[in-house]
Amino acid sequence: MTKLRQLAWMSLAAVGLLFSASGSYAQSQDPGDQPGLVADDSFELDPEWQKQVVLYRTTEPPGTIIISTAERHLYLIQPGGRALRYGIGVGRDGFQWQGLLSISNKKEWPDWTPPPEMIARQPYLPRFMAGGPGNPLGARAMYLGTTVYRIHGTNQPWTIGTKISSGCFRLVNADVADLYDRVPVGTKVIVKQKPEL
Amino acid sequence: MFRSFRAGLTIGLAVAVLVAAAAVAYELYDTRTLKRTIRRGEVFCGVNKGLPGFSIPDDNGNWSGFDVDFCRAVAAAIFDDPSKAKFIPLDANERFRELQSRKVDILSRNSTWDMSREENYDLYFPAVAYYDGQGFMLPRSRNIDSALGLDGSKVCVQASTTTALNLADYFKANNMKYEEVRFPQLEQAVKAYQDGQCDTFTADISQLYALRLNMPKPEDNVILPDVISKEPLAPVVRQRDDDWMMIVKWTLYAMINAEELGVTSKNIDEALQSKKPDVMRLVGNEGTYGEDLGLTKDWAVRIIRHVGNYGEVYERNIGEGSKLKIPRGLNQLWNNGGIQYAPPIR
Repeated sequence: MTKLRQLAWMSLAAVGLLFSASGSYAQSQDPGDQPGLVADDSFELDPEWQKQVVLYRTTEPPGTIIISTAERHLYLIQPGGRALRYGIGVGRDGFQWQGLLSISNKKEWPDWTPPPEMIARQPYLPRFMAGGPGNPLGARAMYLGTTVYRIHGTNQPWTIGTKISSGCFRLVNADVADLYDRVPVGTKVIVKQKPEL
Repeated sequence: MFRSFRAGLTIGLAVAVLVAAAAVAYELYDTRTLKRTIRRGEVFCGVNKGLPGFSIPDDNGNWSGFDVDFCRAVAAAIFDDPSKAKFIPLDANERFRELQSRKVDILSRNSTWDMSREENYDLYFPAVAYYDGQGFMLPRSRNIDSALGLDGSKVCVQASTTTALNLADYFKANNMKYEEVRFPQLEQAVKAYQDGQCDTFTADISQLYALRLNMPKPEDNVILPDVISKEPLAPVVRQRDDDWMMIVKWTLYAMINAEELGVTSKNIDEALQSKKPDVMRLVGNEGTYGEDLGLTKDWAVRIIRHVGNYGEVYERNIGEGSKLKIPRGLNQLWNNGGIQYAPPIR
């Protein structure tokens, strides 16, 4: 009998604790306290850089990624002459490149180890940074072949549509997480640059 | 003496009248548009009275738009001065006759190229400037991203237009059902859509973007990427004036080729130093392409410097740099997801 009463009190306390906990959670929405949560940062984008379905004719099969550096758009080819288009940030002038690669690895909330050539140019950069909301690689990273380049997220949504990186392609976290779930390792990635004069 | 003076006067007068008549006749019946244009010092362009993004005058009578810029490009090619284009607004029903009667040199007025127009009016559409086509607008909240997802929809449409016919064809071809809600005027159809009387609204895509601008919450409506009909908009010239037709055609192709080669109004001076054969031919450092058109060797440089390449003109007037923000879609270059394609200059 006492055992039963004890159990009743304990469950009541547990329910109370649950309520108070969810109450305090509602008051302080700190994304840092929710590992894995990707906040929707895409609403900060101009319409041109928001994810949208567009008409896109190509001989590449659906599932291929085509990146247009000049346009600052990443296309994920869909069946039926269309593509999902995402706004991206691209490399600074002189840090742009083109070619055919494939996604060799995928990571959630990646750690950041700036490559030696980047440290040489920007010595103030950290040697290592653990993954998380403050990390410039953002919520997801997709590795491109054996290069140092990645398709990754960002903690600076306002840099989408600009030429700012060292050759990587950045999307807002909501978009990079969406893309991450759509493409497997082995996905073909075509990077196009504007023509040289 | 008196007599011979009178005779002389009569003869002189007769000669003067004959010369004047010949001059008038020459001006009226000379079919060589390039010569007429150069003599006049201006290109006469027939344009739409007011279509945002394509051709519209501001309060001071300054014209702007995609169609307007194309005419300026022709003027720039001939005169090295884009302001040598004069814009003459024409109604839809009079435009082809006005071109035929030589009131204008060129029609740059969102006109769809089809066979009957070339045949019935003795006209020629040299090249497609803008691939328009019919599409659908619907509330974003419906969360549909393909026209194939519109099965069972109530569709608002303007009655007795090709739009209504295309709509019927598209749903039938794809084995989908729909309920048509017809209105005699376009405005009524738009209002009915906004009042929620229909699930979707159909019109030409360029029109959908223009109409969406005036809605209270434009961003709550999406325009699907699907294009269900062919409405190739092209400049128009008279038949049997090949020299002029060539200038109009290659002005457009020079602008498209310039975009493909990465030549813009900003880097045109750099392009003049280029050693790439394609670029050298475009800017006139190789070959006699401009002279062969009856222009100068830097004809394309003039176009690009004063007006810009195809992409620049698109973005400024109807693309991301404008209020309309129409995605390039079909009008993207052929090697970039679209079908806009110019034969090479070589």
